[in-house]
Amino acid sequence: MFDVEYIRPNNLSTALDFLNTKGTESKILAGGTDIMVDLRSGTLKTRYLLDVSRLDDLKKIEILDGKLSIGTAVTIAELLESETIAASAPALRRAAEKFASKQIRNVATIGGNVAHCSPCGDTIPPLLIHEAQALVVTPQGQRNVTIEEMASGPYHCSLHPNELITHFVLEPKPPEVDFADFQKIGRRQELAIARMSMAAMASKEDDHSISFLRFALGSCTPTPHRFNEVEDFLMGKIPTENVLWEAGKILADKMLDITGRRPSAVYKEPAIQGLFMRMMHPLTYPSLQV
Amino acid sequence: MKSNTIPISFTINGEKKELDIHAGISALELIRDILELKGTKEGCGIGECGACTIVVDGRAINACLMLAAQLDGREILTVEGLGQAGDLHPIQEAFAEQHAVQCGFCTPGLMMSTHALLAENTNPDRSEIVKAIAGNLCRCTGYQSIVSAIEDAAKQPPKEGK
Repeated sequence: MFDVEYIRPNNLSTALDFLNTKGTESKILAGGTDIMVDLRSGTLKTRYLLDVSRLDDLKKIEILDGKLSIGTAVTIAELLESETIAASAPALRRAAEKFASKQIRNVATIGGNVAHCSPCGDTIPPLLIHEAQALVVTPQGQRNVTIEEMASGPYHCSLHPNELITHFVLEPKPPEVDFADFQKIGRRQELAIARMSMAAMASKEDDHSISFLRFALGSCTPTPHRFNEVEDFLMGKIPTENVLWEAGKILADKMLDITGRRPSAVYKEPAIQGLFMRMMHPLTYPSLQV
Repeated sequence: MKSNTIPISFTINGEKKELDIHAGISALELIRDILELKGTKEGCGIGECGACTIVVDGRAINACLMLAAQLDGREILTVEGLGQAGDLHPIQEAFAEQHAVQCGFCTPGLMMSTHALLAENTNPDRSEIVKAIAGNLCRCTGYQSIVSAIEDAAKQPPKEGK
C-alpha cells in the first residue's frame, strides 16, 4: 500500500490544469510499470499520481503532414499492432518486439519509457534515428524537446513539473530505406534490461555505397544518442565486412571516450563491435570480386 | 475522485463489483486481500516473474504493477474464473495431463498468459508460445511440459462462454 492520491482527469486540459497547480507534488502515471517498482523500492515518493493512460488525445498513431505522430500513452503492444509503425518506423517495431515481457508490453507506454530517462530504454535508440521530437505542453503553450535533450542525466528528466509530453513526432523511414533494425544484449533473451542496444536504418546506391544512414546507441553512455562519427564514416562507402568492422571500432572508441575505461570495458569493447556487426551484417556488400 | 479513497467498479470473473478502495493499493492487493481470491500469487512484486498475471480486457498483465484504481471500468479474469474442480477449463486439464504443474506457484499466472494467448492466436507455434510465456518464470518444471500443455490446450475446442 502506497501513500498516494490517485487522480484520473477526463481530458487533456484538466490534466494540464492539475499539473499547473500540483505538478511539483505529482507524478504522471500511464502504464505504471516503472512507477510501481519505484514506489515499492522507495525511490519514488509523490503525493499525487495523475493517470493519463486513458486520454484519447495521447493514444493516436498517425501520419500528419508527412511526419509520424505517436501519442505518449500508446502502449508497446499497440506499437507492435500498428501497421503504420511497421511501415514508417520498423526499428521501433523491432525494439517493441524485444521489450520486457508480454504482460509489461500490454501496459507500458512509449511516453513512460522516454520520460523515465533510463539510459537503457529500448524505445530510445529507434526514436533517435527517427529524429523524434517530444511535444511538451502546459496550459500556457507548448515546446519541442528532442529525445537527446529529454534526459539531463541517467534517470533525470529535464522537463518541468507542470509539463506533459503529449506525443512524439518522428521523421518516417524514407521510402528508399530498406534496412532498419534494433538489437540489444541483455542478461537473458526476454524480460531483460538492455546492457547494450543500438538502432539503425540505411539505404544504398546502385553502386552499393551507403547513401543514407542513421545510427544510435543505447545503454552504454549516460544518455543515449546518435553517433555522427559512425554515420559520417560509413556514408558514401561500400560496406564490406572490413569497412563495417572499422566502423564498429570507431563506435567502441567513441563510447569509451565518453564513459572512460571502466572495468566493464573489457567486455563492452568487443561486445559493442560484435553487436554492431550482427546488426549491420545484412548491409555487407560481398567483398569477393571476380 | 480526489482523495485517498476512491470508488471503482469493474467486472471480475463475470461478476460486477463496486467498491471504495485506498488509492495506493495494487491490483494484486485488491484481488488477494480485499476480494480474497488467493489464486493469483505474488512472486516478486516487481513484474519480473509473472506469478501475478491476470487478464484485463483480454490482455495479460502483471497485477503487481497495476494500481487497483486502474481496474476501474475493466473486465478482469483471474484463475478462479477459468474453471472449478469438477469443471476444469481445457487449459487446466492440459496442464494437469502434461505434468506441467509441480509446486504450482507459477501455474495460475501461466494459465492466464495461456488464456490470453489462445484468445489472440488460436494456433500458436512453439516459438509464439515461448514468446507469450516469456514473462512467466517456473523454477520447477524446466518449461517443456508447460509448452506441451499449451500446445495441447490450443488443440481443444474453445470452452463455451470462455
